[in-house]
Amino acid sequence: MPTYNQAEAILQVQDVGVAYGDKQIIQNINFTEKDVLRPDQVQGQTIAFVGRSGRGKSTLFRSLAGLEKPTQGTILISDLDAQEQEGHPPLRGVREGDVGFVSQNYVLFRHKTIEQAMEFAMRKREDVSETEKGKMITQHLKDWGLYQVKDQYPNELSGGQRQRTAILEQVLSSTNYIIMDEPFSGLDVGNIQNVINAFKLINLSHELATIIFCTHDIELAVELADSLYVIGYPTKPGGGLDNVGTLVKHFDLKARGIAWSDQFSREHQLLVEEVKQAILDS
Amino acid sequence: MANLNIASWFKPFERIAKEHTALISGVWIVLVLALWFIGTSGATKLFPPPSLVWAGFVDLFNEGLVRHVGSSLWLCAQATVISIVVSLVVAYLAPIPAFRPVAVMLSRMRYLPLTGITFYMAMVVNDARDMQVLVLVVFMSLYFITSLLGVVAAIPQEELDHARSLQCSRWEVLWEVVIKGRLDYVIEVLRQNLAITWMMLVTVESILIAAGGLGVLIKNSDRFANHGRIVALQIVILLVGLGIDVFLNFLRRLLFRYSKI
Repeated sequence: MPTYNQAEAILQVQDVGVAYGDKQIIQNINFTEKDVLRPDQVQGQTIAFVGRSGRGKSTLFRSLAGLEKPTQGTILISDLDAQEQEGHPPLRGVREGDVGFVSQNYVLFRHKTIEQAMEFAMRKREDVSETEKGKMITQHLKDWGLYQVKDQYPNELSGGQRQRTAILEQVLSSTNYIIMDEPFSGLDVGNIQNVINAFKLINLSHELATIIFCTHDIELAVELADSLYVIGYPTKPGGGLDNVGTLVKHFDLKARGIAWSDQFSREHQLLVEEVKQAILDS
Repeated sequence: MANLNIASWFKPFERIAKEHTALISGVWIVLVLALWFIGTSGATKLFPPPSLVWAGFVDLFNEGLVRHVGSSLWLCAQATVISIVVSLVVAYLAPIPAFRPVAVMLSRMRYLPLTGITFYMAMVVNDARDMQVLVLVVFMSLYFITSLLGVVAAIPQEELDHARSLQCSRWEVLWEVVIKGRLDYVIEVLRQNLAITWMMLVTVESILIAAGGLGVLIKNSDRFANHGRIVALQIVILLVGLGIDVFLNFLRRLLFRYSKI
């Protein structure tokens, strides 16, 4: 089992609910994710959400990204601009733009070339000089296999190049949190591998780097995540399912000793079955 | 040339080679011309024969057709520039809740009839040329606003969210996604609506005959029932309109490499 420790909370979701008019979409969402520390290596966090369609995953993601204001509860993230308290950044309410958001369709600015999009993504970073920004962009474009197409517009890119551009844009925008809404949906094997590689690059980039994603591919969720939540309809006390989404199950892959593994073991497979059952029951 | 399989020309949704498409278009043109020649060769003529239309065209050319075309184009250009600026301001303000009702109301006003409104315009504008421009601007703007509102409304929420997730303020979202991100659509809207403007020329140019223009020529020809000239003018108007359409499409592709509408 890999050795690890957990430090301060980096994401705290307290009693979050979202309603559109009279229609409650999600409610009572509570969870806390902490910074994971592994000896002698930089380790970010990878959190997966799975569940049946229409259970509120996208609504929760939009709330986590600050794009949708919850009607109830609070979402707190690390405030990296504030002075550290007891050796770690304090938490504050999430705001629009705090969290990178990569949509299922890998949306990009249609009027910007890849390089222009990266420059735009970095425009608000005051911790880096203009010269350094240029160097960083070049280096990242090379690392992510996009340098050759840096002067091309989104409509001139392949699907895989669009994905990497959309993810890299958020990486360079410097938010430590990146939410990806079904990043594997509709991708071929090669492009799925591209996204997996992107996950690894992000995870190794910063201790606080946190990827939150949802998928219908349970095997991939179990393979990549170190923490996995099932969102669904809870069972009512009298039997039958409620009709408002909430978190019905949490699987901590770190505690089970199967996180960050290069092999998809029998334990992983057993977990897949457990997760599938939890989804079917909700 | 690809294998000629005429049966495939009559099969719904069949994909055919470009040369065949050109060939089919050519056949249709020949058919229309043949119909025109044959249909107007008898004693009774419902439509002027090609010879009469050609004579009408030569007459028009000698009377300064080029100058009249220039006058119409200039009028059209003036009105287009003003109306597109006005329409863009209105359409770009539409995402702001306080201004949205104004934009929607202006769009609905395209159903207003031209005649009644021109009377009130004549009361505030003294110069006839200005009056022509104003009438065109008012009516073009209503159509432009309608189309531009459609462009803004069609922007997917995902694009707005993408900009917001990159720390864009709401004003930056408006600038990057709606204004800069849809500039190529403005040319497309212009292209689609210019046909309406072009049709309005006849009415508008009749306000000031001294200024000339294709509308004046048509009106004069109509008065003397000179059918050869009328058809010649219709053809000229159609060709100039098509020329503008092709030019705008070319301009969009030239200026906006990313544009694939």
